[in-house]
Amino acid sequence: MENNRRRFLKIASHSLGGILAAGIAAPLVGLGIHPLLKETVYGTEDFINLGKLEDFPVGVPKKINVTSSKMDAWNVFEGLVMGSVWVLRKEDNSINVFSVNCPHLGCGINWGEEEKQFLCPCHGGVFDMSGKVISGPPPRGLYSYDTKIQNNSVLVNYNKLI
Amino acid sequence: MANKLGEWIEDRTGLSKLLKVMLDEPVHGGAKWSYIFGSGLVFLFILQAATGIFMASYYSPSSTAAWGSVYYLQHKASFGWFVRGLHHFGSSAMMVVAIAHMFQVFIFGAYKKPRELNWISGVILLLFLAGFGLTGYLLPWDQKGYWATQVATNIMGTVPLIGKYIKILHQGGSDYGNFTITRFYTLHVFLLPLSLIFFLFIHIALFRKHGVTPYWKMKEDVIRNHVDPFWPDQIFKDVVFALGIYAVLAGIVFWTGGAELQAPADPASNYLARPEWYFLFLFELLKYCQGNYLIVGTVIIPTLALAFLIVLPFIDRNISRYPSKRIPFFVAIFSGWAGAVVLTLLAMHHDSKDIHIIQQREEAEKQAARAIKLADKGIPPTGALSIFLHDPITLGEKIFKESCNGCHMLRGEGGENGPDFTNFGSREWIVGLLKNPKDKKYFKESGMMPPVKLPDESLLDMAEFLLSQSAGLINQNAERVERGKELVLKGNCVVCHPMGNKDLKKMAPNLTEYLSETWLKEFIRNPADPKFYGTRNKMPAFDKFTDSQLDALIQYLFSLSKDRDLVSEKQGTGRQRYVFIPTFPQISVNFKGKS
Repeated sequence: MENNRRRFLKIASHSLGGILAAGIAAPLVGLGIHPLLKETVYGTEDFINLGKLEDFPVGVPKKINVTSSKMDAWNVFEGLVMGSVWVLRKEDNSINVFSVNCPHLGCGINWGEEEKQFLCPCHGGVFDMSGKVISGPPPRGLYSYDTKIQNNSVLVNYNKLI
Repeated sequence: MANKLGEWIEDRTGLSKLLKVMLDEPVHGGAKWSYIFGSGLVFLFILQAATGIFMASYYSPSSTAAWGSVYYLQHKASFGWFVRGLHHFGSSAMMVVAIAHMFQVFIFGAYKKPRELNWISGVILLLFLAGFGLTGYLLPWDQKGYWATQVATNIMGTVPLIGKYIKILHQGGSDYGNFTITRFYTLHVFLLPLSLIFFLFIHIALFRKHGVTPYWKMKEDVIRNHVDPFWPDQIFKDVVFALGIYAVLAGIVFWTGGAELQAPADPASNYLARPEWYFLFLFELLKYCQGNYLIVGTVIIPTLALAFLIVLPFIDRNISRYPSKRIPFFVAIFSGWAGAVVLTLLAMHHDSKDIHIIQQREEAEKQAARAIKLADKGIPPTGALSIFLHDPITLGEKIFKESCNGCHMLRGEGGENGPDFTNFGSREWIVGLLKNPKDKKYFKESGMMPPVKLPDESLLDMAEFLLSQSAGLINQNAERVERGKELVLKGNCVVCHPMGNKDLKKMAPNLTEYLSETWLKEFIRNPADPKFYGTRNKMPAFDKFTDSQLDALIQYLFSLSKDRDLVSEKQGTGRQRYVFIPTFPQISVNFKGKS
C-alpha cells in the first residue's frame, strides 16, 4: 500500500516535472532559435536608387556607388555604401548594371575608354559593352543585376547577381 | 548497452550515490505542504536564471543600445515578450514567495536555536532579492527604470560619510551613463547571482543539517517516528507547487502581454519616478521624512528593521515555539509588516487619485507607444532617443509654433485670433464648439454659426459622428455615431454645411471627412476655398508648406487630441502591431518576415 503510494508519487513527480520543464524550455528554445526564423541583418530596400536616368550618358558605362540602409537587429544604419556597380545606359534608354568584380577571380574591372571594352587588370579578361567575354580566362560574361526604371529613376536589385 | 554505459559512468563519477545523498533526506514528522516555499524559491531562482541567460543573448548593455535591444526582445524576437514577461513577473513572484517563506519560518519558530544561521542567511538572501529587483529595473534603460533608479542611487547618497562614494561607485561616475548600465548589468548577472548561489548553498546545507521544523503542536514521538523520505513524498508537493507557480506566471504574462517597456530614458524629461511595487513602502516612507529627517527614512528605519530581523533568533531565546509564548515578537514582526502594507497601499492610493499623476502617466503611455512605433523603422546608431529626431510630431510641433501659434492659442500660450487649439479635434473640443461658436475659445464675434441648442449627450453624439470621419478615433462608439449622423444630417447643420460630397459648396465649410488628413491638408493650403470659408475666411493660406511639412503639422495636430490614436497611423509598415495593453496576438508578430 505504502509502496504503491510512493510509486505513484514518483511517477507523478516525474511527469509533472517533465511537463514543467517542457513548458519552460519551449519558449526559451523559441527565443534561442529566433535568428533561424527571422532575418536579423538585412538591407531595407529590394531595389536601390542609383540616380536619375539623365545622370547616365548614353553608351558610356559609369561607375557608381550603391548606397542603402541596413537593419541590424534594432539598429538602422542609413546611407551605407554597400559597394559599386557599372551602369550602362543604352540608346533605347534601357539600362544594364554590371558587377564591378570580374567573374574570373573577383578583381575590380575598369572601363577602357579607348578600347570601348571592360578590362580586368589582374589576368587580362576583356569584355564587350554588353558584358560578353571577348578574350582572356573569365569563364563567363560579367555578372549583372536586375534593374528597373521607375519615375525616371534607375533602380537596381543589389541582392542578387545574374 | 545503456546499462553498461550507466555502470561505467557510475563507476567513474558515483553520480547515483550523490543523487541518493541529495534526495534521501529524512523528513521528520512527515512531508508537509507548509514546507513548499523554500523549494518554490529555488525553482523560481532557476527560472530567473534560465530566462535571464536567454535574454542576455539579446541584451546590449550600453546607454545607446540597451533600450533598442530590449525593444527588439520585446517586440520582434520570437517569444521574447513571453520570456521577458516570465522574468519580470518571476521577480515579483520571488518576492511574494520569499515573504511567505519568511512568515512560515517565523510562525513555526524555525529561526530558534540551533537554526540562527539558517535565519540570518535567509535574511541576507532576501536582501539579495531586493538587489536583483533594483539592478534589473534599470537595465531596459527606459523612462521608468531610469527615473526610479535615480531615486535609489540618490538614496545611497544620503548615507552619512560614505554615501557619496557608494553612489559614484554604483553609477560608475558622477552622473548616469554607459558605466551605470555596465555596472548594474555586472551586479545583476554576475555578482548578485554568484553571491546568491553562495548563500543559498549555505542556507540549504544548514537546512539539511538541522532538518525541518515541524508544526509546534506535534509531539516529540511523532516527530521521531513518523519519517517520510524527501523523495518522492516532499518532492511531489514541491513539484506541484512549482508547476502551480509557473502556470500562474504564464497566465499573467499572457493576460498582460508581458512586461512593459516605456519610452527610452530621456534625462531632459520630467518622468514620474515610481519603484517596483515591493519597494513602494520605502518610497512612501520618504514622504514623511522631511528635510534633515530624510536619513531616518532612507537609512535609519531600514537599518533598524534589518538589524531586528538579524538579532531576532538571539533575543527570542525561549525554547517554546508556541506563538502564544512569543507574543511580543509576533507583535513586532506583524506590526512592521502591517506598516509596510499600509505604506504600500497609501502610495498606490495617492497615485490613483492625483490628477497630475494620472495625466503624466497617460502622457508617458502615449510617448511609449510612439517610441515603439518609431523604433519599428529601426533605431539610429546614435541611440534610442534619436528616434524622436525624425519624428513628424516633433517636427510638426516646431512648424506649429512658427506658423500657427501666433493666432491659435495652445495650452494658454499664443495668440487669440483663431480658435484655441488646446485639445484640438477631441470630443470635448467639438462639443464646446457646437455649444457656443462665439465663445472666446472658438470664433469669438466672427462666429456666424448659431449655437446648437441640444442636450450634452446629443452634442457628444454629433461630435462622435463628425470625428468618426477621420481615422484613429479612440474607443469609437458605433451607436453614438449613428445617432450623431441622424442629428447632423437631419438637423440644421446641412443647411449651411455640405456633407457627403467633398466638393460641394454652401455658406459654411464642407464637413465631409471633417478633420481627416486630406480635409486638414486642403484647408490649411487654402482656407478661403469656397468649399471652406470662402470670402469670409480670415486665416492666411499656407500653400508654401511642402508635403512632408504639412504631413508633420497634421500629425502634430492629431497629437493634440486626447481622443486620437496616433499609433494606428496609416504610414506604418503594417509589420508591427502595437496595442496599448499588449495582448496575446503579439505572437503573430514574431513570425512575420521582414517586409
